[in-house]
Amino acid sequence: MDIDDILREVDPVSHQIPQETRDLQDLTRAWVAERSTPELLPWPSNGLFERINDKIKRQIEKVEEMTGDMDPKTNFALIVIQTELERYKYLVRSFLRTRIAKIDKHLLHYISNDNLRTRMSQIEEAYARRHQLLLHNHYLNSFLGTFPPAMQNLNDTAGNISMIDNPDLDSAVFIRLLKDAEIECHGVDVDGVLTGKEGDIVILRWSDAKGLVERGDAELV
Amino acid sequence: MALPLPPGLTQNEVAFLAEMEMVTVVPRQRLDSIDLLGGKTPQLRPPHRAQLPLWLALLLKKQRRANIVPPAWMHPASLAEIIHRETKEDPEAFSPPPPPPSRALYSQPGTARRLNPSYLDDFTQTQPDSQQDPNSILSPPFLPSNVAESPAGYLPYHWLEVAEALLTHAGDDMPAPAGEVRSLLRDLVEVRAAKMRSSTSALEGFGDAWLTLRGVGAMELAENRAFLAGLVDGVRKIGASAEATRREEEEEARRGGDYGGDGDEDSDEDMGL
Repeated sequence: MDIDDILREVDPVSHQIPQETRDLQDLTRAWVAERSTPELLPWPSNGLFERINDKIKRQIEKVEEMTGDMDPKTNFALIVIQTELERYKYLVRSFLRTRIAKIDKHLLHYISNDNLRTRMSQIEEAYARRHQLLLHNHYLNSFLGTFPPAMQNLNDTAGNISMIDNPDLDSAVFIRLLKDAEIECHGVDVDGVLTGKEGDIVILRWSDAKGLVERGDAELV
Repeated sequence: MALPLPPGLTQNEVAFLAEMEMVTVVPRQRLDSIDLLGGKTPQLRPPHRAQLPLWLALLLKKQRRANIVPPAWMHPASLAEIIHRETKEDPEAFSPPPPPPSRALYSQPGTARRLNPSYLDDFTQTQPDSQQDPNSILSPPFLPSNVAESPAGYLPYHWLEVAEALLTHAGDDMPAPAGEVRSLLRDLVEVRAAKMRSSTSALEGFGDAWLTLRGVGAMELAENRAFLAGLVDGVRKIGASAEATRREEEEEARRGGDYGGDGDEDSDEDMGL
């Protein structure tokens, strides 16, 4: 072992956080954020999910290899690997299911708007389009076909009221501040400015918190 | 297929998150480093201590391959001090969260810096660009707040989940009889729950829609999330039309102010004649 390894063992936090740990942190943060907001957040960039999918696949292959190996010493490592694999799969599954639930709730809203469409991954967008098509065709076959042709659209915006549901962007969310920040909060009777210190947990509207979360000054809790 | 839960983490999910916290473990058997998805586990060589995630520590404890070292804040003296602080010194707010971890700097002896990978470039000098990457700001459950070296007298974010898990599975490793620690924890839970319930009265004041809860725990948040969020959303929906009219009036007042209020001056001069 050379001097760098020894030093690294003595002071274990003095080297860069390895990529896998950072991926786990990113995945966890993305999961918590997605579970807490009322609207769909952008699909994590920088290839996070592709890497995680790859690693899970390789880990499953490794587990299959090790199961065939009847050596009792590797048995315990197998249990640990399988447990961790289940945890990862739970995170990924819960994340994807939450996104699908949000897409399902406001299908037309996310498909019709160009900006919002980029928030979905390609598979999600294809799913949303097909779902919308199936739903619309089902409605047409059931009862919509009996309406006059002018009323068979689902995205009518006449009469100052749009048929497309928007998610409620003002719902209350809980955030944790990662840096000291001044937050402009909108309330029912008054608007105010809240001085927050790092480590504060604040409940406020999602529309106020969104800027902070996107800049990285706060995270959802 | 789609997750039917409303926004916000449930208690089970919070418990899952808490299992990612790191704790200190004293192994009883040798174990090689395992290549996990989240990184390599450290090599376990008794009697050296090692830091492992809580789920792995509980697995090892159940198989009697390791003992868990309880964090310093779980000591009865520390818990008693926290209870004292919550009841006597600060009956309104929760006790403060643990301070962020700091590290001594290699390049500038005598100075301590906040533990943040971007600041550690001083030592490794592998990254020339040490701008503050938001992902590098550590926060629970990735803060080392439940290991043996964590400061006593502060309740970390996942205190209730970690305390329950350690008492249930590693009760014999506690510094005091488990019953004593449990009763202190119960007291703490009650005090904080009462504070949580009364915190909503701060919301009544002026119809404010924001509230700072510094030092609240994860499980307490999860339990009261539905109540608090429902309260804030309900108040908002009830006052939605009043708020819309208020914003319109403010808009008009601002626009009217931009034109200098000429109309008012004219009418005053007319009346003065």
